[in-house]
Amino acid sequence: MKIPRLLQAILVLAGVYGGFVLVFDVILEQVIPSSLLNMYMFFVVAGTYMVFTFNEESTEEIVAPIKALVEDPSKKMMRNVVFLVVPLFFGWFTFQQMKPSFEAPLELRTIHPAPPSAVKVYGKRYNLLTLENPFRKFEKEDPEKFAELVRQGGAVYIKNCQYCHGDKLDGKGPYAQGLNPVPLNFQDIGTIAQLQEAYLFWRITTGGPGLPKEATPWLSAMPVWENFLSEDEVWKVILFLYDYTGYSPRSWEHE
Amino acid sequence: MKQFLAVIGFSLLTIAGFAGFSNYGIPRIEPAPPPVQEKIDLSAMTMDQFISLGERVLNGKGTCKLCHNELGRAPLLEQIIPNTEKRLADAKYKGEAHDLEGYILESMVNPSAYVVAGFGKSGSNDTVSPMPDVSGGSIGLTEPELLAVIAYLQDSGGAEVTVEIPTDAGDAAAEEVTAEEREPLEDPLEIAAEFGCGACHIIGEDEGDIGPDLTKIGATRDRDYLRRAILYPNAEIAEGFEADIMPDDLGDTMFAVEVERLAEYLASLK
Amino acid sequence: MRPRLLSRMSGALLVLFLGLFFVPMELPGLDSGTAFAAEAVAADAVVEVSPYQPAPNLVEKDYPTFLGFNGRIFVWIAAQLHLWFAAFVLAVPIFVFIIEAIGMKTRDKRYDNMAYEFIKVSLTAYSLTAIVGGLMTLGLLVFYPHVMAYMTSIFKETMIFYALLFFAESACLYIYYYGWHWLQGPFRKWVHLTIGLLLNAVGTVLMLLANSWLTFMMSPAGVDSAGVFNGQVWDAMHNFLWNPINLHRFVANIAYGGSIIGAYAAYKFLSARTPQEKAHYDWMGYNANFVAIAGLLPLPFAGYYLVAEIYAYSQQMGITLMGGIFAWLFIIQAVLIGTLFLSANYYLWCGLGRSEGGIRYYKYMKYLGFALVAAFLVWFTPHTLVLSNEELKALGGPYHKYLGPLGIMPAKNTAVNIMILMTYLSFLYYRRANKIATVNWVKAGNTAQIALFTMAIANIFFLGIYHGYFTNTVYKVAASIPQVLTTLTVIVMSTVIDSMIYKNSTEVAPQRWGRVPPRSQYALFLLAVSFTWLMGLMGYIRSGIRQHWHVVDVFRDNSPDAFTPSLGYATNVISVATIMFMAMVIFVFWLAQISGQKTDAAGFWKE
Repeated sequence: MKIPRLLQAILVLAGVYGGFVLVFDVILEQVIPSSLLNMYMFFVVAGTYMVFTFNEESTEEIVAPIKALVEDPSKKMMRNVVFLVVPLFFGWFTFQQMKPSFEAPLELRTIHPAPPSAVKVYGKRYNLLTLENPFRKFEKEDPEKFAELVRQGGAVYIKNCQYCHGDKLDGKGPYAQGLNPVPLNFQDIGTIAQLQEAYLFWRITTGGPGLPKEATPWLSAMPVWENFLSEDEVWKVILFLYDYTGYSPRSWEHE
Repeated sequence: MKQFLAVIGFSLLTIAGFAGFSNYGIPRIEPAPPPVQEKIDLSAMTMDQFISLGERVLNGKGTCKLCHNELGRAPLLEQIIPNTEKRLADAKYKGEAHDLEGYILESMVNPSAYVVAGFGKSGSNDTVSPMPDVSGGSIGLTEPELLAVIAYLQDSGGAEVTVEIPTDAGDAAAEEVTAEEREPLEDPLEIAAEFGCGACHIIGEDEGDIGPDLTKIGATRDRDYLRRAILYPNAEIAEGFEADIMPDDLGDTMFAVEVERLAEYLASLK
Repeated sequence: MRPRLLSRMSGALLVLFLGLFFVPMELPGLDSGTAFAAEAVAADAVVEVSPYQPAPNLVEKDYPTFLGFNGRIFVWIAAQLHLWFAAFVLAVPIFVFIIEAIGMKTRDKRYDNMAYEFIKVSLTAYSLTAIVGGLMTLGLLVFYPHVMAYMTSIFKETMIFYALLFFAESACLYIYYYGWHWLQGPFRKWVHLTIGLLLNAVGTVLMLLANSWLTFMMSPAGVDSAGVFNGQVWDAMHNFLWNPINLHRFVANIAYGGSIIGAYAAYKFLSARTPQEKAHYDWMGYNANFVAIAGLLPLPFAGYYLVAEIYAYSQQMGITLMGGIFAWLFIIQAVLIGTLFLSANYYLWCGLGRSEGGIRYYKYMKYLGFALVAAFLVWFTPHTLVLSNEELKALGGPYHKYLGPLGIMPAKNTAVNIMILMTYLSFLYYRRANKIATVNWVKAGNTAQIALFTMAIANIFFLGIYHGYFTNTVYKVAASIPQVLTTLTVIVMSTVIDSMIYKNSTEVAPQRWGRVPPRSQYALFLLAVSFTWLMGLMGYIRSGIRQHWHVVDVFRDNSPDAFTPSLGYATNVISVATIMFMAMVIFVFWLAQISGQKTDAAGFWKE
C-alpha cells in the first residue's frame, strides 16, 4: 500500500525527530540540547518541504488532502475538529513556552574569550601576540632536556592542577563535581588543541578573575596562578598539558 | 499589484525571520564596552603629578640622562638654573629666550642656541651642539612632555615653577612612557639613533666625537669584538679614549636582535 | 577591409585592453624606485620632523552631533547601501560582458538581448550608487571630520585617482549602454565588447582602491605605532588584509549581482502575461541563478582564506572574530548560507520540470536533499552549545562528547565541501535532464563520474576527520586546502566528462521555458533577500572586529558610539537598511520597466 505523500512527509519529520532523541539521549547517553534540536528540526522541515514540493505532481498530492479538508463539504466534522485542535495546540505550546518556571536562567559563557593583546603579570608586560613558550624550542634541539622539562611540568600539574582538572587531564578531578563552570577538559579537541601557548599562559597566570567581561559570569574558580607558580613553572606545565594529551599548540605559519 | 504585494510580503517576512532569529534565537550577549584609555588627563593633573611626569620623561623617553650625567658628556642639568642669567647675557648666545622657562625650552628644541664651553661638536669651536632636537626624530617629545621636563627642572633646581599645565587635554601627548612595549628595530641606523650612539660616535649622519669613529670600524674590528664592545664597553678601551664613558647598561635596554643587527652592521663598515 | 581581417584586428584590440587592465594596478604604488629614493632621503634627515602627523587622540567633543542624528548609524546605513549598490553595479558588467561574449560566439540573439536588459537595470543603480556614496562621504565629513582628515592625509593621492576614475567608469558605462544598438556588426561588436572589458577594468580598480582604505583601518601598514605615515601610499594600500578582502569581495559581488538580477527576473516572470514573456524571464532567471551559484560555490573558500589571514595578522582579532561574542554571529551566518544553498538547490530541482526528461531524475533528489541538510546541520552546530541547567547536569558540563567535535573548523570545512558538491550535483542533474547521450561510452563515462564523486567524498571525509582530529593544528588548517582542491577538481573534471558525454546529444522533448511553479521564483527572492541581509551582517562584523578603533591599534575611536553593538542591535540596523535597499531596488526595477512603455497620447499634441 502506498503511503500518502502528506503522511510520508509527517513520518519523515517524526522519524528524524525521534531518531535524534533516540540516538543522542538513549544510545549515546549524551542529551541533545533542545535549543539545538529545535534549530535542527527547522532545517529538516525546510529540507523535507523542498524534497516534497519541487515537482508539481508531488506538490498536488501533498496539497490535495489539505485542500479537501478545507473545501470538501463531506469532511465537515473533521474540519471542525482540526480547526479547534490546531489553535488549542498552539495556545498550549505558547503557554508552555512563556509560563514562568523555577529554573535558573541560562548562563552562557564564552569558553574561549578573545585575549587582550598584552597582559601584565609577574610585574612585566607580555605581548600575547608574539609571546612564545621559551622551552618549546628544546623539543627539537634537545629532546632529553625537553623530556625533563615535561616531567617537571607534570610534577607541577600533579601538585597543583589535578585536583580539579583530573589526573587524566579530562576535567574530572576530585573537586570537579563541586564547580560550575566545570574544569576544562584538556583531552577535548575543542580546548587546548585550538589555542596557542600564549593563550594558555594568559589563562593560567590570571585565572578566573582575569577573564574579560564577555566570559562572565565570573564564577570560574581557577586561581590566579601568578601568585603561586613561577613563570617557568607555568611554561613547563603548558608543555606537560600538550605532551600528555598528544595535541600540539596552535601555530600559524607566517607567509 | 497582487503579485507585487505578495513578493514584498514574502521579502519582509524573510527579513523579519532573520532579525527574529538573531534577536531571540541565539543568546543575547552584550559586548564588553571599550576599555578605559590609560591616558594622562592633563586637565585633572596637579602640578606635583605634572612634575613627576617630567622626571619620568627625563629618565625615560627623553633619554636625557644618557649624556647629561656625571660622565661629563654633556653639562649637568643642575647647572642650568644658576647659570641661565649669565648665559643669556653672553655674547655667544644666539637664541631669543628671555627667561628661564624659555631658555630651557630653547635648549631642548634648538640646542645650538647656546653651547656651554667645552661641550660643542668637535671642530665647531663650541658653536654647534651635538645634542639633537628632542621634540623630533627618534626621541619625539611632545609639547606637554617638554613642558613637564621644564617644570621638573625648575622644581628640582629650586626655582619657581613658571610652567602652566597645558589645558589641551586632547593632545596626543603624554602617553605613558612604555619602553618595554616597543618592538625591536630593524634598521641598524634606527637602532643607533634610538640609543643615542651618534651623540658620541660618528655613525650614519651623526658626528659625535667623544667615542671612536665608527664609519670604518669593520675594517679593524670583527663582529664578536663589536658585540662585546656594545654589551661590555669597558672590557677593552680603544686607544686614546677614556673608560667609563659609554653606558654599560645597553645590554639591559636593547633587544638581543638589535645588538646582533647593530654588530653586524658595524662589522660591515669597511 | 575584409571582415576576417577586421575581426582579427579587433581581437588584437581586445588583448591590448586586457593588458591595460593591469597597468592601473601599478599606478597607485608609484613604483618601488621612488619609494627607495624617498627612503634614502628619510635616512639622510634622521632628526627631521615627518611632515605627517600622528593619529589624533580624540575626545568626545571632537565628534560633532547634528540634529540628534546618530552619526554611526547614519554612516553605517549609508555605507551599507553604497556597498550593496556598488556590488551590484560592479558585478553586473562582469557577467553582462560574459553573456555578451557568449552571444557573440553562439550568435544567439537572446543572449545579447538579455545582456542589454541586465545593463539597463544597472544603469539607474549606478547613479544611486553615486548618490549613497556621496551621502556616506558627507556623513563621514559631518560626523567624523578628524577621521576623514587623517585618512585623507594618507590616501589623498588614491582618493583623487578614485574620483578621476569615476569619470572613466561613467564614460565607459554610458558608451557601453547607449551604444549597444549602434555598435552591432562584426567589427563594431568587438569594439563594444572591448568597451565592456574596459568598464570592468575600471570598476575593479575602483573597488581595489576603496578596499585599501578600509583594510588599512583593519590592518594598518605604512604607519608607525603612533600613526605617523611614512609617506608611501603603496605601503598603506598594500596592507595585510587588502588582497584577501579584494578576492572575497570580487567573488561575492558576482554572486550578489546574479541573485539581484534573479529577483528581477522572478518578479517579471510572476507578473508576465504572455507565455513568451514567461519563457523569456524564466530563462533569464535561470541564467541569473546560474551566475549566483557559480559565485556562491567558491565563496566559502575565499571567506576561509580571509579569516585565516585575519588570524595570521592578529590572533586577538581572529579570536574576537571567531571565539568571542561574534562566534554567535557565525551561527546566524551559517543559517543564512544554508538558506542560500537550500534555495539555490530548490530552484534547480524545480527546473527539472521544464523538460519531460527531468522526471527520470526526480527520485534522486531526496538523497541530495538528505545529504545537503545533513551537511548543513553539521555546518550549523555551534561550538558553544546553549544548554539549560538540566541538560548541563545531564551532560556533566558544557562539553558534548559527540556534538562538540562538530563545532570546530575541520567538521565545518568537510560539511561545506559536501554541500558544494551536492549543489554541483543538482546542477549536473538539471543539465542532463533533457538530454540523451549519443556517444557509445555512456556507461563508462557515468561509472567514471560516480567513481570520481565517491573518491572525492571519501577523500574529503578522510582529510576532515583524520587531519582535523588526529593531527596537530598546523595540519588542521592545511587540510582545508586539499579538501577545496578535491572539490574543485571534481567540479572541473566532471564538467569535462559530462560535456563530452553529452556532445551531440539529442533532446528528450523541447525544453519548455516558463513551465516552472511560482514557488521556484520565490526561491529566487529568498536568495536575493538572504544575500543582501547576509552582506549587511558580514559588513557589520568586518567593521566590528576593529572594536573601539578607527584604525586598529593606531587611531582610537573615542566617540560615544565606540562600543561594539550587540548582535540584536546590529541585526536590527541591518534589517532596516535591507528594507531601505529593497525599496530603492524596486524603484530601479520600476524605472527599467516604464522606460520600455509608451502611452498613446493621441489628441494631446497638435497634429
